[in-house]
Amino acid sequence: MRHLRWLLIPLVVLPLGLLLLSGFGRDPREIASPILGRPAPEWSLTTLDGKALGTDALAGRPYVVNFWASWCIPACVDEHPVLAAAHERYGDEVTIVGVLYQDDPGAAESFLARYGNAGYAHAVDERGALAIDYGVTGPPETFFVDADGIVRAKQFGPLTDALLADRMASILNVAER
Amino acid sequence: MTRHLPTIALGALLALAALSIVFSVRPGPEPTLSERAGALARELRCPDCQGLSVADSPTSSAREIRRQIDELLATGGSDQAVRNHFVARYGDWILLAPRSPLPWLVPLAFVIAGIAGMVAWLAGRTRPPPAASPLTAEERRGLREEAEALDA
Repeated sequence: MRHLRWLLIPLVVLPLGLLLLSGFGRDPREIASPILGRPAPEWSLTTLDGKALGTDALAGRPYVVNFWASWCIPACVDEHPVLAAAHERYGDEVTIVGVLYQDDPGAAESFLARYGNAGYAHAVDERGALAIDYGVTGPPETFFVDADGIVRAKQFGPLTDALLADRMASILNVAER
Repeated sequence: MTRHLPTIALGALLALAALSIVFSVRPGPEPTLSERAGALARELRCPDCQGLSVADSPTSSAREIRRQIDELLATGGSDQAVRNHFVARYGDWILLAPRSPLPWLVPLAFVIAGIAGMVAWLAGRTRPPPAASPLTAEERRGLREEAEALDA
């Protein structure tokens, strides 16, 4: 009976230690997204250059929705060339759409003039309703939607070339099937 | 007094149960739409703040969520439908208080276990020494004989 007391110490300490340790590898700001594997939100907005854009026009092929803001520095600046390169490389198969997150269209135009405009469209989400539909907590956040309109992957924080290639694979495979 | 403690505790429990039934059955004033909207806004986390509710935050996300709450309630949505609308987008994270009772019960279980452990420890420490067993008739006779021998 007396030995059981010693058994109790590792039984309590080990699981607690492992639980705390597992938390070190995670970003506490990143929350599990319930929209993965579900149909992407439907929307219809106006782009920076005044055209109408929405899920009706995007349907039928994979697309990427990137929430960004001109005030999101340095993360949005860092990932900007990654998205430009992606538009260049995957543009024939995948549509890339930028969505302004709590940003002024004028400020966004200056950002694009300064860091380069790759040519893909940027929608103005004036009230922020689309960001709420996607469960965005702060830019940059990027969602990858397959040709069937299902959200397959989410990137929380800035994209790198490697991360983009990884997430892109989740929507390209479905298109090729 | 201590003898009656269980009875008193039972009485208190019955009184509390009766009171809770009375309060839950008594028809209170129906909350207005704006009261319901305010209560829901206080339950929901502002998505781009640090630990603020939607009701307390000035950000445009919070403003849009408050607008959507009003809209959902105005079109006849229940409070639960409004919660589900935002949970479908952000997950349970959007609720400031957890829905599962586990986070409330686990600390309570620890407190009860702690009190039980303390009581057991204190009881063990102040345990009275075992009562002396009464003398047998034979021992008594032996002692009397010894005493008489000393008196003589």
